[in-house]
Amino acid sequence: MDQLLSTPKRWMLTALGLAIAGCYLFPVYWMYASSLKPSFELNASPPTLVPHAPTFAAYAWIFTRENMARYMGNSLVIASAVTALSLVLATGAAYALSRVRSFWMDAVLVGIMLSQVLPPALLATPMFVIFRQIDLINTQTAVVLATTTKTLPFAVVMLRTTFAQIPVELEEAARVDGCTRLSAFLRITLPVARIGYIVVGTLVFLLAYGEFVYPVSLVNKNELQPATVGLYGFVGADYSDWGNAMAFASVVVTPVILVFVLLQRRIVSGLTAGAIK
Amino acid sequence: MTSIDATAARPGRPRAAMRRGVLDRFTDSTAIWPVLVAATALYLIAFVGYPVLYTIIMSLQEVSVGNLRSLSRPWVGFDNYTRLFADPLFPLVLRNTVLFVGLNVVLQCAGGLAVALFFQQRFPGASFLRGLVLAGWILPPLVIGAVWKWLLASDNGVLNYALASLGHIAKPVYWLSDPATSLLAVTMANVWFGLPFNMILLAAGLAGIPRELYEAAAIDGAGPVRRFLSVTLPLLRPTLYALVALSTIYTMRAFDLIWTMTHGGPVDSSNIFPVWSYKLSFEVFDFSGGAAISTLMLAVVFVVAVAYLRSVRAEQSL
Repeated sequence: MDQLLSTPKRWMLTALGLAIAGCYLFPVYWMYASSLKPSFELNASPPTLVPHAPTFAAYAWIFTRENMARYMGNSLVIASAVTALSLVLATGAAYALSRVRSFWMDAVLVGIMLSQVLPPALLATPMFVIFRQIDLINTQTAVVLATTTKTLPFAVVMLRTTFAQIPVELEEAARVDGCTRLSAFLRITLPVARIGYIVVGTLVFLLAYGEFVYPVSLVNKNELQPATVGLYGFVGADYSDWGNAMAFASVVVTPVILVFVLLQRRIVSGLTAGAIK
Repeated sequence: MTSIDATAARPGRPRAAMRRGVLDRFTDSTAIWPVLVAATALYLIAFVGYPVLYTIIMSLQEVSVGNLRSLSRPWVGFDNYTRLFADPLFPLVLRNTVLFVGLNVVLQCAGGLAVALFFQQRFPGASFLRGLVLAGWILPPLVIGAVWKWLLASDNGVLNYALASLGHIAKPVYWLSDPATSLLAVTMANVWFGLPFNMILLAAGLAGIPRELYEAAAIDGAGPVRRFLSVTLPLLRPTLYALVALSTIYTMRAFDLIWTMTHGGPVDSSNIFPVWSYKLSFEVFDFSGGAAISTLMLAVVFVVAVAYLRSVRAEQSL
């Protein structure tokens, strides 16, 4: 029935679609626009849709006065460590789960999926007490270990899908040619799965980068906190300095948007596959 | 795949065969599979299973700042639970949680379906524009909370300005500081956040409906509304069930958004169970109370997740 649509009607739909996407993304636009406004324009009534006198003053402020670079550095360190740990731990399980089907493997998969759904805010209490007992409180190690509980099940489920798409015959051929199972995996399977690793690694990184509950509850030293907690420091209070807060939010979110634009198609197909199965 | 072990005997290359050490023999046997799974399994048992168990234990104990480090604490049975059930806050938080989760699930599914149906039509740029809408869902919740807090600001917030200039409101709405609107405000932000996820899963579901069914229905004289009710909705039912479960689970994670925007306030008007649990533990150091609420909510999430997994697996084995 789509074929019945006339050309003008199609273009009208495009215009409507543009309006829907525009309305939806307005908050993101407003964040960037607000971050570039000087304070008198920020509080002007009526608000200006496009900044009349754009300035980078807010950005200069957050980098010189609010330790923006340090927060971003901490985020980078924590998210990288979480990504490395998740991918290394997940590889074996994901591969085994993609190649063997048995009652026990199914049970493991269900257990992994169930551990994925538990909200961090509910696990924050025991995590705090447990890390306190083993003297890891106030360390980034605790944040990395806790955040990995969220990303590891996700990585296993997604990498399992990646491995399942690689024909077992490739490995069998390698084995016939004299490879051990390990070298067949390292020389055949892993290289074929590298795109999957890039996508899963990126998503795990983004998940860890956006994590807030674990750092804020396990660490109370500002100099160890990631950018999410830094942003919370800006907007958690009743009154906020919105120009600086939006600049801070823009710096936090710009890398995420860039990654999304670059990997959009793969991320979307990967995530939906991971969510349904 | 164990049949491949036939390759272990290769008389043509004795040297290579000799190099096969203990490691290779081990990785080539079926004993490798449990070992591969073990790294992940042990990690999750240590850092998810143990904390969950620990929550349940703490909820049955008297935990104070003083005995936080020790493992032997006085057992109090279900005292923590009865104490919280009797708390005047309990009915309010229960009402908020039910409202928040219910509204989110309904609005995200309905909104996601509307947007998915719209972008399913074939017009220039449809898939590109749909991709743009997905961006909202990959942003850190903290950023979304911050941006929405600014959009909803009472004095210079752009939403109040828009509503006022359209003549809908006479004076600014205190979205986040008025107990009557705070839950609605955080719901708006969370629907914005969750809608793309629902939309993309529904789009996948829609793409799976055979076109012939629509054509057959059209030939039988069914209009667009009838086609939607008799073809689209029934065939989308498994996806919708899955989405109700998934959005319920994801909505329980809205802590970040609420914490940024309202802190559960004012006067607990946007307080939901995960927020209450966190406040009990980290603001009044009532760790056993926080653990009791956590236990209840973990049970809810667990039941929903099991129901969801069962339905998915039943569907796949068909």
